[in-house]
Amino acid sequence: MAHPLAPYIFLLRNPARSVPITIVIALAVLLICGIVALVHSIPLSVREIYGYSRNFSAALPRSDPSYLPTLEAQLSESPVPIERVLKIRVAFFNVRSIVGKLPFVLHGLKPEDAAFLRQRMGLSQLTGRLPAVGAPEAVITRPIAVNLGLDIGDELLRPDDPQNYSPQPVRVVGIHESDYWFAYGDYTYVAQNHFPPVDDLVIVAKDQPRFDRWAVERFKGTKARILTHAELLRETDESLAVLLQLLSVVIGMLVVVVTVMIGLFINIYLSQRITEFGLLQAIGFTRGFLARRAGVEASIIVIGAWLLGVLVSVGVLWIVKITLMDPRAYFLDPLDWYGIAYTLPLPLAVLLASFLTIRIRFARFDPVEVIERRIA
Amino acid sequence: MIEARNVSLEYNDHGKIVYACRDVNLRIAKGEFVGVLGPSGSGKSSLLYLLSGLKEPTAGSVLFEGKPYTHLSERERAEIRRKRFGFVFQYPYLVGFLTALENVIAGAEALEPARDRAEALLSEMGLGEKMHRLPSELSGGERQRVCVARALLWDPDVVFADEPTASLDAATGREVVRQLVERRRGALVMVTHDPRILGGADRILRIEGGLVTETSVEVAETADSRVEEG
Ligand SMILES: Nc1ncnc2c1ncn2[C@@H]1O[C@H](COP(=O)(O)OP(=O)(O)OP(=O)(O)O)[C@@H](O)[C@H]1O
Ligand SMILES: [Mg+2]
Repeated sequence: MAHPLAPYIFLLRNPARSVPITIVIALAVLLICGIVALVHSIPLSVREIYGYSRNFSAALPRSDPSYLPTLEAQLSESPVPIERVLKIRVAFFNVRSIVGKLPFVLHGLKPEDAAFLRQRMGLSQLTGRLPAVGAPEAVITRPIAVNLGLDIGDELLRPDDPQNYSPQPVRVVGIHESDYWFAYGDYTYVAQNHFPPVDDLVIVAKDQPRFDRWAVERFKGTKARILTHAELLRETDESLAVLLQLLSVVIGMLVVVVTVMIGLFINIYLSQRITEFGLLQAIGFTRGFLARRAGVEASIIVIGAWLLGVLVSVGVLWIVKITLMDPRAYFLDPLDWYGIAYTLPLPLAVLLASFLTIRIRFARFDPVEVIERRIA
Repeated sequence: MIEARNVSLEYNDHGKIVYACRDVNLRIAKGEFVGVLGPSGSGKSSLLYLLSGLKEPTAGSVLFEGKPYTHLSERERAEIRRKRFGFVFQYPYLVGFLTALENVIAGAEALEPARDRAEALLSEMGLGEKMHRLPSELSGGERQRVCVARALLWDPDVVFADEPTASLDAATGREVVRQLVERRRGALVMVTHDPRILGGADRILRIEGGLVTETSVEVAETADSRVEEG
């Protein structure tokens, strides 16, 4: 038999009191978790979508063909062994993301360079065929196909689409099964039909991160623009920093509101139970015992509600991911520890508020006042 | 067992000093039945709170087994109330979300033996069928009997009863008092303004304006019934 004064007995037998608090906290947790996971899916998307850039860095001569030989010479100074330098041309198209359209590169590759990169990136499994030399043809990976709803034979670039423009319709002729987002076509076609008429350099190094660090330092203040994976991540994080700060403020306000609300709730509940506390104290329980019991009750509710909120959040985000995000190859991490961490201030603040409330209520409490019905 | 030495309790009522108890000297011996009689506002409840350590006197001291309550911690005083005393108040206070049975054993240390005892006690008191009901499903008299069972559970050394019949009709009141008087093993201090229920009392204290005097059972009875009838 459970002790009648065990803290959970009150909670179980007074669902009208414990359930609303639980729901408020759980909903607040769901709200925070959801917002953070959605915001967090932005950098996650950027990382995933441009994840191919781990495999190489790019050096752009900024539309100046005469600069290209100098750039090549300077690259050869690299202390980090370079495996291969590819001369490529680029065309652009848009992929869709949770924050709208993101520009993506159609790499115009010479056949031998394409073979090298395929090998390098593990793009072996191919449905369809490779682009023919000089032809308006493209090969994409599965995530891009899902994201844009493209199949073999569909047009990736079109003359009548300013955002995905090419003078001729560029059709998808092959799809690689891969987690990478990557798209390439034929060098010659891109070179003949897209601006600027300048090669970009793609550098594949033995130790890519080390090469990238060197290159970024080396070409600082020069005409060349160096694109590396690390820079991409840094820029993404920087551009999201303000958003995350704003989010923290919003969450902070939410925490304050919910905490004050729950504090008031708990204060009202304690008032409603004043007879119980007075009686129990009169018949021989200390204020300490009663305050601890109330504290454990509050803790059970708050921690339970938080856990419930986290579970519901993971569930809801999972459903959102499967029904809304996956079909478009959008990214969402239902078990986002970052989001869960953001919800932690809520239970902590609520617990603190309830302990304070309980402490204040029990600091001066005379059971005789209750027994004599001066307060009730 | 309990001793009051020159005990006073005064309240400051908007600058005016009100004596709830005034220079009280008395002893409660083991096992005796002490009645406390007095009109409304005379200080009966206050005396009970002082004797049970629920209130601290503003002057003098109250001793339990030779030790002043003021020398004990809150915890020790609470433990005395829980283990050595039983309380029946004017209103049948019970914890609303606990059944009759659970209310009776709420203060017990060991649950299982307490439960057996409480079940037996409640059955004897005519609540056998209703011990698993919530207080809201019991009548006032039934609730007060549950309170009596709670007070008597472990045969406390002293039962303090403050007008246990106040919220009950005459017949139910008499029944509750009879149970209380018959089943107690230790001392009983019972406050009332109705002398008729103090039939079996060993001693009767009269209190008026906080001043306590001792009277015989018979005098108290005649005096007070005259007041009430007149
Ligand atoms: N908290 C308080 N503040 C001011 N005066 C108080 C307080 N408590 C009690 N008193 C006064 O002390 C006196 C005694 O009160 P007490 O409650 O002991 O009377 P009582 O004999 O129990 O009365 P009743 O029969 O109506 O319950 C009363 O005059 C009352 O007004
Ligand atoms: Mg009274």
